[in-house]
Amino acid sequence: MSHFAKLRYLSILTLVTAGVAGTVATSFAEEPPKWVPGEVYPAELLKNFPCLDYTLACGKLKSPPVERIEFSGPLEGDAARGEKIATNLRWGNCIACHVLPTQDGGTIGPTLKGYGAREMPLDYTYQRIWDVRYYNPNAHMPVYGPNKVLTDQDVRDVMTYIYSSK
Amino acid sequence: MPGKELAIPHVSGDEKFSNTYQYWKDEKTIAAAKKAGKTSAETNYKDFRWAQKSFDAEGALDIGKQYFNQKNAAGKSCASCHGQDGEKLRGIYANYPAYSKKLKRVVTVGTQIKHCASERLGLDWADDSRPNVLTDFYIASLSDGKIIKIDATQPGPIKQAYERGRDLFFKRAGHFDFACASCHTPPTVGKRLRSQRPTTFFGDAASYPIYHFPYALAGDDYEYVFTLQHQIKSCQLLSRIYPGAEGSPAMTDIEVFLKASANGYRMSIPGAEYNMDTGYLD
Repeated sequence: MSHFAKLRYLSILTLVTAGVAGTVATSFAEEPPKWVPGEVYPAELLKNFPCLDYTLACGKLKSPPVERIEFSGPLEGDAARGEKIATNLRWGNCIACHVLPTQDGGTIGPTLKGYGAREMPLDYTYQRIWDVRYYNPNAHMPVYGPNKVLTDQDVRDVMTYIYSSK
Repeated sequence: MPGKELAIPHVSGDEKFSNTYQYWKDEKTIAAAKKAGKTSAETNYKDFRWAQKSFDAEGALDIGKQYFNQKNAAGKSCASCHGQDGEKLRGIYANYPAYSKKLKRVVTVGTQIKHCASERLGLDWADDSRPNVLTDFYIASLSDGKIIKIDATQPGPIKQAYERGRDLFFKRAGHFDFACASCHTPPTVGKRLRSQRPTTFFGDAASYPIYHFPYALAGDDYEYVFTLQHQIKSCQLLSRIYPGAEGSPAMTDIEVFLKASANGYRMSIPGAEYNMDTGYLD
């Protein structure tokens, strides 16, 4: 679209919205895009997190505060779903950095093969996935819980998957 | 993130980071490292990305050259001022980003092209437009072999830009709360991350812009050329950080930091994107 055509398009849009504002404005409110786990994360939503800019509002945002969550059992998640989450690059993507119980993966973090045999406390593992900063503020692991990359159920399913590896 | 206090504006600063500089500081050490069985990751990929030239970038460079010589209605082109084949621009890419007195800020070559095209030729060549990116690539190729020198030690706008860019490089952001440094400093450098091994940020800028076939972002129309600005944007999208506008002050500062982290290293344009020895994937 040429610059001129773009301007014209925008001005028509403005006129249309201005004309109906006040009467049925609510029905015109645009639905914010939603992230469907497993699909591309909409770039528009990234504005809700800190960014590297001096003028955009996201440039002033801070990292979320550390969340300490006490795990309450029992685990009883869905290991198959957990594997899906751990291997999907648009979901948990644990495989990017870890060797997984059933698949080869990255070597940034420790291998998770045989994780169950290590008998790590459930509370420790849950916290480690939910918000790693509680144990190590300099770890290079996504802040899965606070930034809503994974839900509580997602984390339980991933844990069920890795604990099943003896 | 810690670590930024160790960063210095010279390629040898890698000694305090991945400490692989000894294997890739020049052609000789690269050849010796290869002979000793070092992997591409251990030579920071300089064994091909820097020491070898791209076979496939010629087409994109030719298009850049055409844009450089493209005459406007008044018969003027970039070449009218900068000389046939850009002879007056030889070497300049090794000293950019630089402070523009006119714009009163530090600018990338892309931003310089945009303003020059607009003021002198009446052309709308935005930082991330096809003519700008391809002209940028062509101009960069005129500095092939030049030693990078961005003076970030004397007090002034470049030093300030370097420090701001460094702080941004080590700042956590985005959906995952990752910094650029999360991947491009140890312990991540050299380890397997989604089937690749990240590079140290030292010396990397020497190969940019790079011909990146077959990679492109949605909507790209640059013949697979990635300027450093475009590479930073691509990295931001991958790590779920809201991407900055190419040529913006913040993005320019990051480029100053990266380019100054290649100080003392030679530009290699067009560097080879691929290692024909596929063993590098191991």
